[in-house]
Amino acid sequence: MTLPTLDPLLHQPARTQLVAYLSGRGEATFSELKRVLGVTDGNLGAHLAKLVEAGYVAAGQAAGGRRSQTAYALTAAGRAALSEYVAQLSALMVLSGEREGDVSIVDGLSNP
Amino acid sequence: MQPADRLQNIHAMLAAGHRSVHLERSSLLLLGGVGGFLSVVTEWVITDTRFPELGDRALALLVWLVFWLGGASLLDYRLTRRAREIRGETLPFAQAQVTRAWWMLLSMGCLGSFAMFFYGGGSMIYALWIVLLGLGIYLFGLFSRPLIEWIGLATILLGVAGLAAGLSYGATRWLAASAFAIGLPLAAGLNARNLGVSLPGRAAVVLLWLMAVVLPALSMAGVHTEPPEAAAVGLGSSVADKGDQVLRLEPGTEVPLRLDLDSPILSTRSDVELPMTLNMPMEVALRDGEPDGRYRIGNGPWREIREGVLQLRIDRLSPRLEKGVPVVRTHARLDSLDLDGDLR
Repeated sequence: MTLPTLDPLLHQPARTQLVAYLSGRGEATFSELKRVLGVTDGNLGAHLAKLVEAGYVAAGQAAGGRRSQTAYALTAAGRAALSEYVAQLSALMVLSGEREGDVSIVDGLSNP
Repeated sequence: MQPADRLQNIHAMLAAGHRSVHLERSSLLLLGGVGGFLSVVTEWVITDTRFPELGDRALALLVWLVFWLGGASLLDYRLTRRAREIRGETLPFAQAQVTRAWWMLLSMGCLGSFAMFFYGGGSMIYALWIVLLGLGIYLFGLFSRPLIEWIGLATILLGVAGLAAGLSYGATRWLAASAFAIGLPLAAGLNARNLGVSLPGRAAVVLLWLMAVVLPALSMAGVHTEPPEAAAVGLGSSVADKGDQVLRLEPGTEVPLRLDLDSPILSTRSDVELPMTLNMPMEVALRDGEPDGRYRIGNGPWREIREGVLQLRIDRLSPRLEKGVPVVRTHARLDSLDLDGDLR
């Protein structure tokens, strides 16, 4: 029996949450992510830098508003990686006999 | 952390992302204030004495509603964007779309109020506004906190239940005023305190919210018109030119209906009368020899004619040829909502 290999970049609680939030929200500013995740500036900056470097998250100009703000959004690669990660976690749950994998989350991720 | 816990976390964050629409406190306070103000004051501003022509009255109401609701919507849009900017957040796509849907609902309310002057149904206009308000809140709630969604549903049910229970026009008017002026600021307060997270907690909060909206409305609707102080006199007695009097009309009194038909197709003689006879005693308050709008049936409470308890409804119109003569037959009902208590 082969155990699924989990994406090391996403297999970190803060980054998993960040990517999952962006998947539902569409785009979010640094301030909003900091508030939602409850992390420090430095911590969030480091996580975002890793995700941007991997091509999972893209930074751009926020739509609307008078003040110039940077908004972060999940890329297609990031969305695919999160779907894959959720599928791997579900498979792990089945293997470990915890309960059946949560397919609804994977379905939810397919709609950007 | 176990895979199940990780999946649970992902699910929670995904839901938080989807429900990122935030109905600002300023939005609820602004709309609640303006909606409550309009529910109470509109009847005093758009009157048939100020605008005798039906078309003018309808147009005046439309301009009045668009001015207040349009102004409030624009101000709300600016305040919402500013609040988001201050928090360093972008406006979610869902919020922009729901705001457009909300404006559509307000426009439907304004146009519905305008159209009812020409197509009837005016007695349920406040119930319609309550349902539209509920739909707007519910739409926001779908992408925001579940408590807002539930309050939206409760508001829709409130409007429907008001109609189903046969509440009078006056009572639904107070219900609309209460749903706006008490319901929305209260929803803002409950939302800010993050109440109703668990299912039983949410049900309890919504129940309290309903009570806070319904009870003041019903108590206002139950406030009866002040009875006149003068003693009742019969129809045969002399009617004073000055001061207050109460005229008592006994059963069997003839009260002819004078019909003022406004139509480009048909015209009536100005002296046409439909003879009618009173079936139950009635008292009418007079001021300076003229009815001042207060009346009571039997020993019931005093009411104002503008409360809309008495309604004349023409529900059928059928042209016929009777012995070679063209005749238009109509069926009308003089309905009396909420009069059960009066007749006991």
